[in-house]
Amino acid sequence: MKRTLSRFVMLALFTSVTSGCAHVAAYDRAKLAHPMMTTELEGPAAGHVLAVQEGATGGGSLAESGCGCN
Amino acid sequence: MRSVRSFRSLGVAALAVFSLSSPASASSGADAPDRTANEHADTAPKDAAPGKATPKDTAVERASFEMAGYQDNDAVTVFTPSIALGIDNASGATLRATYLVDIVSAASVDIVSTASPRWQEVRQAGSVYGEYKPRDFGVGVGASLSREPDYLSYGAYATVRKDFSEKNWSLFFGYGLSHDTAGRCGADGACTPFSVFSRNLLRESFNLGVDLVVDRQSLLTVTGDLVVEDGDQSKPYRYVPMFTPEKAALVKKGESIKDVNDNRSPERPLEQLPLTRRRFAVTARYARRIGNSTLRASQRVYDDTWGLIASSTDARIVFDVGKRFAVWPHLRFNVQRAVNFWKLAYVSRGGTGWDLPEYRTGDRELGPLWTAGGGFGVKWYIGGAADPERFAVQLSGDAMYTSFLDDLYLTSRIAGLGALGVEGAF
Repeated sequence: MKRTLSRFVMLALFTSVTSGCAHVAAYDRAKLAHPMMTTELEGPAAGHVLAVQEGATGGGSLAESGCGCN
Repeated sequence: MRSVRSFRSLGVAALAVFSLSSPASASSGADAPDRTANEHADTAPKDAAPGKATPKDTAVERASFEMAGYQDNDAVTVFTPSIALGIDNASGATLRATYLVDIVSAASVDIVSTASPRWQEVRQAGSVYGEYKPRDFGVGVGASLSREPDYLSYGAYATVRKDFSEKNWSLFFGYGLSHDTAGRCGADGACTPFSVFSRNLLRESFNLGVDLVVDRQSLLTVTGDLVVEDGDQSKPYRYVPMFTPEKAALVKKGESIKDVNDNRSPERPLEQLPLTRRRFAVTARYARRIGNSTLRASQRVYDDTWGLIASSTDARIVFDVGKRFAVWPHLRFNVQRAVNFWKLAYVSRGGTGWDLPEYRTGDRELGPLWTAGGGFGVKWYIGGAADPERFAVQLSGDAMYTSFLDDLYLTSRIAGLGALGVEGAF
């Protein structure tokens, strides 16, 4: 029951945030184009540390292969 | 001690990819998400004769290098040099390649508890990814490879992306398939061939997500992940101490190696994990431009069929300091509930033969824990006056404190991670 509930919460979260956003015209996106809005600030080493230290990490990337922790 | 193998040149492939590109200069679609990648201004010379103008190369080549180091108070040290190369073409084509090496040295309590000496190991990993997205629909394919003396993993994946409503929102879907083979190496560095001993794991990954322009200042990405894992991912080096029911009841959190060895039963079987695992996760990433700063935050919730439930929260605020610097504080908090077969002390009942629990583990990352971390980063733009962001140096450092809530040997861990990187666009 708990598991069903938690998955329902995940689904509700996913669907609720996909609605209700304003339409922003292309000429009005100067702030959205700032590099810090999208630039990746963590290198591969940080991702590896999290993969090893957090049991829940994984699955967030399709490209993952091995964690080097055998 | 397992041997440290010499580095193999997986990077050659990445360098070859990089060398195929030709020098050029142009603006990047990546820095201007409100434009499609092929919406650059016409850059043909004004005085070029009609029909004779040579098409200008609009590719942007990117390269970055990072050296990172990790150290914790459980005697684990990791150095990770890595490179990443990429080409973005104005036609909407993108090619990326990465290569990294993990040099791990460990004498952690888990190793000491099995009377094993400090060991060192080298892992190499590489990936390539190509994407073609000329307008509002794009497809991408990638592959990855990770190799160490006793572990081999390779995989491939594909993604599709579709923009809607003048790129106010985008849907993306991805599928990945990977195969892991875990082997075993001895203390003298000799490894048993995979054909003699190996454990295999097949992993399928699905993700579905949406990118949203929330308003003039905010972006939101929500991704749902499903990972299906089939195979034995038990670690062939991890032995789990067993206790009689009476002694198991007396075992305390953080029990020392000596006390465990004094009280455990003679049998000490290898770890055994369930042979299937289904992972579910939803991640929301939010970015908001506020004045001269940028808020970046993410929240991930996770659940799996082993019973592990977790939440990870990550946030940083990037402050622009003039045109040359960006600095940020960083905070992260992770908390998780243990897998449903987790025990502080596993019970093996006496009698004829061993009566072991079907599933048993000593992997404290499968136990109950929380981790709080924080740090700082700075990015120094060293490009020319006209385009300072073309080259940059980045330095970051984070400290992490983990509290293990129901574990043998350790009750906490303090770790530090530092990284120095350089990057450029050509």
